[in-house]
Amino acid sequence: MSVPAAIPVPIQATRYPPGDLAIWIFILAELGVFAAFFAAYAFARIGEVTLFNACQETLDRRAALINTLALITSSYFVVRAVAAIRVGRTRGCIGWLLAAIGMGFVFLVVKIAEYTHHFEAGVNLSTNTFYMFYLSLTFFHFMHVILGMVILAAVALKARRGAYSAAEHTGVETGASYWHMVDLVWLILFPLIYVMR
Amino acid sequence: MPLPAPLQTQRRWLRPCTWVYLAMLGLTLATFAIGVAGLGGLTVSLSVLGFALLKGQLVGDYFMGLKFVRGPWRWVIALWLLLPGALIGLAFTLASR
Repeated sequence: MSVPAAIPVPIQATRYPPGDLAIWIFILAELGVFAAFFAAYAFARIGEVTLFNACQETLDRRAALINTLALITSSYFVVRAVAAIRVGRTRGCIGWLLAAIGMGFVFLVVKIAEYTHHFEAGVNLSTNTFYMFYLSLTFFHFMHVILGMVILAAVALKARRGAYSAAEHTGVETGASYWHMVDLVWLILFPLIYVMR
Repeated sequence: MPLPAPLQTQRRWLRPCTWVYLAMLGLTLATFAIGVAGLGGLTVSLSVLGFALLKGQLVGDYFMGLKFVRGPWRWVIALWLLLPGALIGLAFTLASR
């Protein structure tokens, strides 16, 4: 008996993004706030280019690289978690979510080490305009990483209780969308604060 | 034996995501290399910004799955990227004069 050739199954297009639509409204609001922050940083820099460039040199680009790689990797792990639950692999989904949370912890530890270094050097919000933006922007993002980790942990817990299946997994997609937003914001923040001069 | 349809679909979605992940790692390392080399100026800054916007678009299209969405939601991340991208680009252009 001959084996039939694999028939490509088209990926169905939808009208709405994956997950709960409410999280997308929330994501848009968050992205709007971050866009305003980014623009404020860039325009504030116009009047103080020398100061911004000098202060940028005091930042730890290696730490920023580790954090960027950690967030990109965690986002990829979340993609794997969504892929797993879509075919009903609950244990796989939980495993990938926990791996993503682990990468989130890497981010937090590295960021705390960076903050500690700056605070020990006497840097604070009122040191100058650059550090005001650096500390407030990165700390605002830091809080979003924590919230994202809490959301992923809640999704993993619900998955463990059997709340999701191949047929119904909106919660996993909702948590995933939020986590990707956290990653997306850092992808702009990293070059803007640490590299562009 | 052909894979069951849901597995086929997932594989067709995951494979590009893996390539996107690797591409983003490459772009991140390139950005880092530019940073540690101390390269600056408008062209370099706009190139680095371009890398970031490209990575953002890849996250939206593949990781967030917007590539498979029709209608206005398809472009929501692209439009968002355009907003800070244009403003940052404008500000850095003005600062370089």
